[in-house]
Amino acid sequence: MNSHSQSGRHDGSNEQVRLPSPTPWPILLAVGITLIAGGLVSSGIVSIVGALIAVAACVGWFRQVLPRERHGSVDVVPHDIVIASSRRKVARMEAPQAPTRARLPLEIYPISAGIKGGLAGGVAMALMAMFYGIVSHRSIWYPINLLGAVVYAHIQVTDQQMEVFHLDLLLVAIALHVTTCVLVGLLYGTLLPMLPKRPILLGGLFAPLVWTGLLHSILNIVDPVLNQHIDWLWFLASQIAFGLVAGMEVVRQVRIPTWQYPFSVRAGVESPGMMGEEDSHR
Amino acid sequence: MATDSIAIPLPRTASRSVVLDWLCTVDHKKIGIMYIVYALIFLVIMGCEAILMRIQLARPESTFLNAEAFNRLFTMHGTTGIFFVAMPMLFGFGNYFVPLMIGARDMAFPRVNAFSFWMTAFGGILLYASFFSGGSLLHGGSAPAVGWFAYAPLTAPAFSPGHGTDFWILALLVAGVGSIGAGVNFVATVLCMRCPGMTLGKMPLFAWMNLVTGAMVLVAISPLTAAQLMLIGDRFLGSHFFDPAAGGQPVMWMHFFWIFGHPEVYILIIPSFAFISEILPVFSRKAIFGYPAMVAATAGIGFISLGVWAHHMFTVGMPSYGNAFFVLTTMVVAVPTGIKIFNWLATLWGGKIRFATPMLFCIAFLFQFLIGGLTGIMLATAPFDWQLHDSYFVVAHFHYIIVGGILFAIFAAFYYWFPKMTGRMLSETLGKWHFWIMVIGFHLTFDFMHVPGLLGMPRRIYTYQAGRGWGVWNMISSIGVIFQAAAILIFVYNLVHSYFKGALAGNDPWDAWTLEWATTSPPPDYNFDAVPVVRSRRPLWDIKHPEDPDWKYE
Repeated sequence: MNSHSQSGRHDGSNEQVRLPSPTPWPILLAVGITLIAGGLVSSGIVSIVGALIAVAACVGWFRQVLPRERHGSVDVVPHDIVIASSRRKVARMEAPQAPTRARLPLEIYPISAGIKGGLAGGVAMALMAMFYGIVSHRSIWYPINLLGAVVYAHIQVTDQQMEVFHLDLLLVAIALHVTTCVLVGLLYGTLLPMLPKRPILLGGLFAPLVWTGLLHSILNIVDPVLNQHIDWLWFLASQIAFGLVAGMEVVRQVRIPTWQYPFSVRAGVESPGMMGEEDSHR
Repeated sequence: MATDSIAIPLPRTASRSVVLDWLCTVDHKKIGIMYIVYALIFLVIMGCEAILMRIQLARPESTFLNAEAFNRLFTMHGTTGIFFVAMPMLFGFGNYFVPLMIGARDMAFPRVNAFSFWMTAFGGILLYASFFSGGSLLHGGSAPAVGWFAYAPLTAPAFSPGHGTDFWILALLVAGVGSIGAGVNFVATVLCMRCPGMTLGKMPLFAWMNLVTGAMVLVAISPLTAAQLMLIGDRFLGSHFFDPAAGGQPVMWMHFFWIFGHPEVYILIIPSFAFISEILPVFSRKAIFGYPAMVAATAGIGFISLGVWAHHMFTVGMPSYGNAFFVLTTMVVAVPTGIKIFNWLATLWGGKIRFATPMLFCIAFLFQFLIGGLTGIMLATAPFDWQLHDSYFVVAHFHYIIVGGILFAIFAAFYYWFPKMTGRMLSETLGKWHFWIMVIGFHLTFDFMHVPGLLGMPRRIYTYQAGRGWGVWNMISSIGVIFQAAAILIFVYNLVHSYFKGALAGNDPWDAWTLEWATTSPPPDYNFDAVPVVRSRRPLWDIKHPEDPDWKYE
């Protein structure tokens, strides 16, 4: 292949190009293989003849490409090719703001903003949940155990058991809570620049409402224990606490302009064929 | 392979006869044309088979064909359509235009390219040789009668005596080797032969999609080849891979076949997407919308489609988890496909659309492929499939994809690239006649074919009783075939007439933007006087509009 690639280039003299010579061996090899197959439904002789043709074709083919590939030379006949368009006018899509062909959004929050927002919102949400535990069950462990009990969904637990400290449930709850909060925080960091107006209102109130509605419909499948014990009003309050705090924390961060370059460049991918080459040609 | 080469001062087109020149050629353009002409011949043959079947089914209790002949016809029609019309046609266009679009002189392995074509060609000839074996042509010889997916144990010698099934196995085995060779060539060509400046991100979508198709061919054809070798073992050597009486598993054949068979659908549709993705922008006078998303969607389809095969087997009795998995993966593959459709629509949106014949076929493709895709989603739902599996609803669904999608895209490609291949324009007047008659025929046949399926008409029955409520729908479908046949005749006439007497095309009749339009029509053996250098996805736009080149923005 390299050989062909090499030979396929203009040879520098502007007169001849080297290309593989026409050859009968590919068709003869195909004939041979087909006859071998055809012999299975006709006569063994056909297969034998096919095998002989195939072997001869292989030998001929190999001799043509080994040790060096044979090429024919073709004279280049210069053509006067004019590349032009009769449509000289270029219509432009109307955009409300320059620059045209911008990659939107023009500014985003850094990833760290989403993580910070998620963690801050997570603290607010946890405080709200523990406040609920104290008010309703006189125990800060109740909501924590509820969250952690997702991994023990198959075990029946009493309210008394839910109100006391369990290390394993605490660890599970922390892992779940932190992971979820960071992921949702990242989502906020991504979404908030896209929201046209009042991002805090949309992110802090509207999104928690939607999220709570979604959970209301699927929580029986995701976490049956939590579903049995949940107080939806308090749950919504804790979600709003998360949304408001996470949103405020995210918008406090400094926005950064997006790179107006292709993804491959922004991602720093340096595989062959991925990098732009404009600069070297300008 | 050697890294050096020796140049022998032989003229490439030696002074041999024209026939020998074509038989021995390794030029990707000539091989591409041979693929296309070969596929056109088989298109007419499979069309004739379809006409015979539709005559038989037009009326209830018809005696035009007997059951055995009908079985042979639908087997040959399906096998021919997939393996000897659609694949060679798409490989033909890929062969001709991938090197031109990426600024290469030829395919990466020109000799393997020729070998691949001839294997495909002889595979088809071997299949049709079955008509002449074991009896007269009139009685169908011993042509295979096991359906295009040849389920076991029907293929066992006890149920399919004679050599008909053997012809089917061997023909596809031979053609399969050719397909794998073509796949290797597409992948190597696109990855290694691009002209200076053409990074992967600046490659035409046509080349991207042929790259994905080539990779899929390598993955998908191999299981079929393996299964056919096993079947040869069962039929010739006494093995029992698929013989349930001796501990074999017929269901294993189904898995082997469909793990090839469903990706195969995408092997056919992705090159069709490639045609649409090149033609729509030119006739909308806009760059393709969402190029990176199109590339990602193509790769996504290629990957996901390898994991959907058992949606053809919901009625086999898989575990519920298996059913659920294949329902979900089949639904998921609709997502990147939907992305493509939205991107094509967005390309049209706000464009200065020219309704030339290639564009008309593209627009029809969009609607018809969408409907075929939606019925596919319906069938992807296991309970729905349990009701309609093996009914004419399924036949209508996949003909919507293969005819309404793939064949319409191929027609678009013919009208768009024929001027480049021959130097002459196809007649627009005849093209529009072809388009509208084809649209009418297609919809008469396949829209109304859904109904008998919903009414319970099973596929592959050679006749049916009167009074089942199927007669009128079948009659309408059969009438539609008359229109389709007329459209194909107009198309073939247009091809032949325009080749000799069509208007001269010039190098760039559509004012297009990819590299094939930067050389003569037809191109010389070496494609380009000098290897081009590109800086954007639309190199000809850059030259035509130096004040506003694309490379400033990509």
